[in-house]
Amino acid sequence: MDRRIKPKSLLSPLAKQLTSRLPGRGLLLAGLAIVLLFMGMAVFAPWISPYDPTKMVDKPFLPPSLKHFMGTNRIGQDVFSRIIWGSRIVLYVVFSATLLSMAIGIPLGLLSGYRGGKIDRVLSMFMDSMYSFPALILAIAIAAVLGPSPMNTAIAIAFVYIPTYFRMIRGQTLSIKSQLFIDAAHALGIPDKRIMLIHILPNLAHTILVVFSLSVADAILTEAGLSFLGLSVTPPTPDWGYDLRVGQPFFLNGQWWLVFFPGLSVMLLAMGFALIGEALSERLSLAQSI
Amino acid sequence: MAKKGLGYYIVVRALMIIPTILILYTIVFVLLRILPGNPILAVVGTRNIPPEQLRHLEHLAGLDKPLIAQYFDYLWNVLHGNFGVTLASPMGVPVMDYIATRFPATLELAIWGFTFSVIIGLVTGMIAALKRGGKIDTTMRIYSIVAYTLFIPWLGMILQYVFGVVLGVLPTGGRIDPRINLQTITGLYVLDSILTGNLPALISSIKHLILPSLTLGIVLSGAYTRLVRNNMVDVLSMDFIRSYKARGIPGYKITWYALKNAFIPVITLMGLQFAILLGGAILTETTFSWPGMGTFIVDRIEYRDYNSIQGAIIFFAFFVAVISLVVDVIYALLDPRIKY
Amino acid sequence: MGLKALSKQVATAIIVAIVIIGVVAGYYAFQASKAPASPASISPSSSNPSATTSRSFTSSTTTSSASPTEAKVESEIVIGVTDKVTDLDPANAYDFFTWEVLYNVMEGLVKYKPGTTEIVPGLAENWTVSGDGKVWTFVLRPNLKFSDGTPLTAKDVVRSIERVMKIKGDPSWLVTSFVEKVVAKDDRTVVFYLKQPTSFFLALVATPPYFPVNPKYPGDKIVSDATWGGAGPYRIVRFVRDVELVLEANPYYYGPKPKTEKIIIKFYRDASALRLALESGEIDIAWRTLRPTDIQYFKQQSGFKVIEVPGSFIRYICFNTKVSPTDTALVRKALAAAIDRQQIIDTVLLGAGEPLYSLVPKGLWSHVDAFKVYGDANTELAKKLLEQAGYSKDKPLEITLWYTPTHYGDTEADIAQLIAQQWEKTGLVKVTIKSAEWSTYVSYIRKGQLQAYLLGWYPDYLDPDDYLTPFLDSNANGWSGTGFANETVNKLLEKAQTIVNQQERAKIYEEVQNILAEQVPYVPLFQGKLFIVTRSDIEGIIPSPTMILMYDTIYKVQG
Repeated sequence: MDRRIKPKSLLSPLAKQLTSRLPGRGLLLAGLAIVLLFMGMAVFAPWISPYDPTKMVDKPFLPPSLKHFMGTNRIGQDVFSRIIWGSRIVLYVVFSATLLSMAIGIPLGLLSGYRGGKIDRVLSMFMDSMYSFPALILAIAIAAVLGPSPMNTAIAIAFVYIPTYFRMIRGQTLSIKSQLFIDAAHALGIPDKRIMLIHILPNLAHTILVVFSLSVADAILTEAGLSFLGLSVTPPTPDWGYDLRVGQPFFLNGQWWLVFFPGLSVMLLAMGFALIGEALSERLSLAQSI
Repeated sequence: MAKKGLGYYIVVRALMIIPTILILYTIVFVLLRILPGNPILAVVGTRNIPPEQLRHLEHLAGLDKPLIAQYFDYLWNVLHGNFGVTLASPMGVPVMDYIATRFPATLELAIWGFTFSVIIGLVTGMIAALKRGGKIDTTMRIYSIVAYTLFIPWLGMILQYVFGVVLGVLPTGGRIDPRINLQTITGLYVLDSILTGNLPALISSIKHLILPSLTLGIVLSGAYTRLVRNNMVDVLSMDFIRSYKARGIPGYKITWYALKNAFIPVITLMGLQFAILLGGAILTETTFSWPGMGTFIVDRIEYRDYNSIQGAIIFFAFFVAVISLVVDVIYALLDPRIKY
Repeated sequence: MGLKALSKQVATAIIVAIVIIGVVAGYYAFQASKAPASPASISPSSSNPSATTSRSFTSSTTTSSASPTEAKVESEIVIGVTDKVTDLDPANAYDFFTWEVLYNVMEGLVKYKPGTTEIVPGLAENWTVSGDGKVWTFVLRPNLKFSDGTPLTAKDVVRSIERVMKIKGDPSWLVTSFVEKVVAKDDRTVVFYLKQPTSFFLALVATPPYFPVNPKYPGDKIVSDATWGGAGPYRIVRFVRDVELVLEANPYYYGPKPKTEKIIIKFYRDASALRLALESGEIDIAWRTLRPTDIQYFKQQSGFKVIEVPGSFIRYICFNTKVSPTDTALVRKALAAAIDRQQIIDTVLLGAGEPLYSLVPKGLWSHVDAFKVYGDANTELAKKLLEQAGYSKDKPLEITLWYTPTHYGDTEADIAQLIAQQWEKTGLVKVTIKSAEWSTYVSYIRKGQLQAYLLGWYPDYLDPDDYLTPFLDSNANGWSGTGFANETVNKLLEKAQTIVNQQERAKIYEEVQNILAEQVPYVPLFQGKLFIVTRSDIEGIIPSPTMILMYDTIYKVQG
């Protein structure tokens, strides 16, 4: 953590009081535990999965039992195995998508907010247009053009989150830019590039992490949404959103395990990331105010 | 430019809606045309229609024109307020007719969902900020995370099952009981029921609204809780607040000040959420069979109905752009630190 | 202290999570043990008189809208569907459900006897056909009127059919491919001059493109939201696209008065919504199309009736005979032999289908179980044939099976998965499943870009010709992407079209079906069954192999 004294913290000698508070370590650990659990599932799927998730292994609609922890689905596939293998798809899609959109959205947002002028106007215009495009519809359109496959889904989702990063970063940059210490840096003749990287970017870490926490979790939900609409993967590839969708009619018949477990997995994984993000953002906000 | 003030900014932003929509239209146009298949094929499907009739049908839909001509023809129509006619299943219905019934449905869902989410978000966020560090804070936090990470169809189905199937107290789909005749004025059923003094329609439309808007509201409220809390905590921990406290300014004033400051990001988020909303709305609308814009666009993508999709997107983009403009203006008014 | 606070927070988080999960899971566990109680059927508002006072339509001739009494509720029935009305103009309507609506608000010169495929007089009293089979003369009933009271004469019949020919909408080939011209000899006599003798012309005349329409339909323009109708048992009162269609009895109808004065058709987006609507009492009848699971569910519930409708639509696999490896007949035969139809029907359709061994559905004359020669789930034969074709465990047959995810309902992916498993069971096949969304799918197929793919067929007219010519006649099967061409079959099919004698035709069709099983450009899978689920107080539904539901016989029992 960067502990150099910043102009801002000179104004807040009382901030130290806050350090006595625990910076959300519990949340962080809980989040990490969940995420690691799912990552472990993804990595070790071939060893821990009791059955082949793509094959009919037993009678359809068996309720959860010792033989099938989460029961079997409408065509006799083992739900537990499908949940385990499904974590692979989700994590792969979501990580690719988020990294891609951060790599594009953050630098552009920084540049746009700091430089202002023509670059800002053109970029903002473009990002605003993309932003005003309803996220899921853009993803649907792209996914439909590219055809159903995990990588294509990742690209579609990445597209959707670029403007999110861009707009947040740009807005914050605008706000920070007008603060005293930046003016001071200007007065000292520090070059723009350096101001952006050294003085603004660290101040944005807070925002980035908040947005990150929102967007990874959100990307998981978007992926699930896309596959809920049938646009992410082709069966028999195991996928939570898809399983949820095809489980819906049976859910109302009382075969609750077909919908309950996939939906729960989506929520837990998204929650894991949200917890990590939440905890990190709090730690960072504390560190920044030291 | 920085010195030209807010009025100038508003004008520039308003003018920028035009290229925004152009960009969007272009993206949609290109995406739709890259896809193999066309609206005629979607309708004809595997029907054994003679090839010359197929060509005739494509001609009727204007699909035999060069792409560039199709692009500008449609643009020209939109400039004249004409969003074209549907190309498939059915052919020839003005797209605006659809938007006129679908958009109010989404808007109504959005307004109610928003109301639920902002109220839940503000209350929980404020409580968490005031009791920061305590058990209540932690609970609110966990609530915000859980709410935010709920998968809309999942939550929707559970609510449907509990309230619709088991308890049977609330309808699980549609906007109003089919036996009720409601004269539509605005297309917002609740408002129309009040305007026409139609009590059964009012009750029915509110009943139909509760589950979908609650689903949307709960899921969206998580983000507000977090945002309100974090920003209030930020403001409350600022040095000048301490000095206010030291000077003996009463607590409620400080809270109000913090809340007002926390409102800036909330308003931004509201602007942003309007776009996210339609994404969420597709899932909500799909789960609850809500006849809104989301389901309309998804259905029309299936038919490859170019005009409907383009029209709906342009219309929606325009609406979002205006909302976004309003949000930015409010943002500027509330946060004097921003210079334009 | 740090550890303590940490564990506290984690504990809180876990407890909250467990409580939520526990509550929900507990709820379901509890609910699973008892059947869900049927909720109060009608929301209180529906019987409230003020609900109907703001109606925007008026009807001078019927009593239904005059006084909102209890009896009124009995004289209306709400039918829910997931289908859409695409185009209320018969010149352009070309899908099953829209046709159903047209069958109810219009009538043709001839029609199907309820519950059968037998053709009986409709607006025409009788008809004659010339010796060469090319001139058909129909005599109309006297004093016919459209549903608004306008007299209906032979001129209107001619005008309507000429209108279809002129507009050239989607279904117009049903007229233009067969009819040379149509003339009104006098007010009650219509004469059709055909391009060639057409043995199944009556079946064609029973389709909506041949229906006389109200003179208000413009002569050269499609009116998609047209509500003027024709001369059927019902007329359209109100149509709100994708929301509802309200019909009332046509007071000018020549035939018996419909049992129920008012029919409301309510459009639902998907089967789940339709099912919930029936459960909650929002609708009286759930028609096209509930999912197989929903049917099973309602069969077990009290308070509902499930009525089976014999289906005339067929499902099959297509093979592209122009690309490797499906260009080899041995491969196609092997894949046909490995199919286990019953497994698909039991697992995916939950019984809502019947195994099909020909393209001509069971129950239609001339049907033969031609594909029985391969047996069912005949993995051994499949293996033998594949080995003959040169495939082995080390060099398996690689094939891509395509399906489309929504057009045939959401069970399609499961059907594809099962077929893939059945093929892979031979140990000599490796299947990749791919999907494309409908319009894309159709475009791929028409360009002959797919290898093996699932399709379905709804008949245009109920005659074996409509199940064979479009598939096997190389002049007509361009849409199918199979590239199948066989001169003998072409000649046989063309010959059958011109023969009037049904027995002679049947012989030819049997021969064609055997050639089909020999060549295997298609593998028939099953013919679908449809189901109508009603609340138990609904009577008078006549299921028909035409898959068209006529509303005029349906009524609600008092009390």
